[in-house]
Amino acid sequence: MSMQAALPVALIPGNSFIHKVNPITKIVWVIGYIVLAFSTQNIYILYGMALFAFLLAPLAGVTKPLLKGALILVPIGSSLLALQIIAPAVEQPWTPVASLGGFTIYGDGLYYGLVLLGRIVASLLIALVMVMTTHPSDLFTSLAKLKMPYTLNFMLAMTLQLIPVFQREVGIIMSAQKSRGMKGSGFAAVLPSFVPVFVGAIERVQQLSISLESRGFGSDGMKTSFRQVRSRPSDWIIGIVGAAIFIGLSIISIMKGLWSLAHVIVFPGTFVLWLFIIAAATFAGVIIVTLIYAFKK
Amino acid sequence: MTSTDSTVERGARAIDVSDAHYVYPTGHVVALGGVDLHVEHGEILGIIGQNGSGKTTLTKLFNGLLKPTSGTVVVNGVDTSGHTVQQMAAHVGYVFQNPNHQLFARSVEAELEFGPRNIGVPEEEIKERVADAIEFFGLADVAEEHPYRVSFPIRKLVGIASIVTMRPSILIFDEPSTGQDHHTTKIINDLMRRLREQGTTVVCVSHDMPLLADVVERVVVMKDTMIIADASPREVFADKALMARTNLQAPQSTEIALKTVVPRGGPIALTPHELADDISARLAGKATAPQQTVR
Repeated sequence: MSMQAALPVALIPGNSFIHKVNPITKIVWVIGYIVLAFSTQNIYILYGMALFAFLLAPLAGVTKPLLKGALILVPIGSSLLALQIIAPAVEQPWTPVASLGGFTIYGDGLYYGLVLLGRIVASLLIALVMVMTTHPSDLFTSLAKLKMPYTLNFMLAMTLQLIPVFQREVGIIMSAQKSRGMKGSGFAAVLPSFVPVFVGAIERVQQLSISLESRGFGSDGMKTSFRQVRSRPSDWIIGIVGAAIFIGLSIISIMKGLWSLAHVIVFPGTFVLWLFIIAAATFAGVIIVTLIYAFKK
Repeated sequence: MTSTDSTVERGARAIDVSDAHYVYPTGHVVALGGVDLHVEHGEILGIIGQNGSGKTTLTKLFNGLLKPTSGTVVVNGVDTSGHTVQQMAAHVGYVFQNPNHQLFARSVEAELEFGPRNIGVPEEEIKERVADAIEFFGLADVAEEHPYRVSFPIRKLVGIASIVTMRPSILIFDEPSTGQDHHTTKIINDLMRRLREQGTTVVCVSHDMPLLADVVERVVVMKDTMIIADASPREVFADKALMARTNLQAPQSTEIALKTVVPRGGPIALTPHELADDISARLAGKATAPQQTVR
């Protein structure tokens, strides 16, 4: 039983090049990704960033958990595209390209839907790659070097460290309840599973805070770290090159009015119509499957 | 409390484990390396061994929480590999070490009703089973309380009672006495005796040697994912080399007996009562060994 596999938002141990990259360099890239993603409406740049982040996964040996983590994009992406195609979140006039029943299908709605989705996909993938390849303690040490407030830094590191602990706890609790004949899924499983998880989480946090205070947490003075993180020349090069690319592209993009290609890329009406049908059907399917599981005993 | 209710295939052993291996999904950790274990109905079995020796993994095979990566596990004639944990729950009750992992209901009484209801016990019988358990475990004063509002030892009893009300024919205890006070340990001890009288098969994983010495009839010793000894508690606890090899410690009564009365021809005591009986007899000038059970 691997809850690690069910909720893959934690460090996947490894010895790849990406695992060895300095956490500060990774933070530079994640921040750069987010800044650039929200500074441009150029879908080539957005999906290029997403593709690049995805290609890092096999290099780091985290493809499978990354894909599992990225599953959340299915309902988000399908609903976003379906809604944008029929009601674009940009100023009118919109360009109708087809109609379906009472719905008018807009080509520029698809473009802006793809922009919004591209921002989410690119940011999520790079953030997942970073979390899956960075030891929380290394992140803590690196952020401390960046003068991040100690308490805030500790909270972030602790949250990341507790994720696998809670994943394991969820696994044990599910086993305990299944042993009592509880159905493994469905609405009936929610209460027996989540009450012990939440109570356990609260108790654990209470104990942790007492334990921290009893060991002088919050006291003044310089803090040291057991784990040391080295900065190699390659880390500097990767960080500087990344920062230069992201800053450069962001500036160009802003100067070009967010570099939108909405008026350059014209999607055929049939293509937009079919994409709308597929997106709407996928989202409806997700909702139906969720409801079936929710009410199945 | 009445005897167990789950259907048992005629002629089948309670537990039949044949050449069971278990490797965790990551592929790096071998938790069981070829285990054979056969348990008859009504046996009270203790499993001991160091942490990481495979005790808990082995018991999780019994109710299908884990399926062997090779080999077979047949419980009451049912091969666990083709059945879900929920299906096996009618045969095998599993008391987890930490009661907090299973308690969720609004009251102790509701908690005790949860298991039997899941396996389809009629409402009238659920009421009768819950009343029985409340009386046996002394939970009358807290029956309406929320399980998280009672003390940890009582919570532990609630956790055990919530499995006992399912009346499985096989009951597994994982460290039942860890962190418990004397009162709770005594109730657990009494429960095991009661289960033995009723013919329930009990498997108890524990580091509490005095508890095992007091109640079990057979001890299985595990080391490095394998069973390395399977004998009566008297034989196992008296085997100094085995105890040393597995970093285990026999009950104090046994150790005292081995150093004092055994070299003088006395019996191997398992419990303080047996040791006290022998010492009393010797002080009274009687050379006869005290009465011992077959264990």
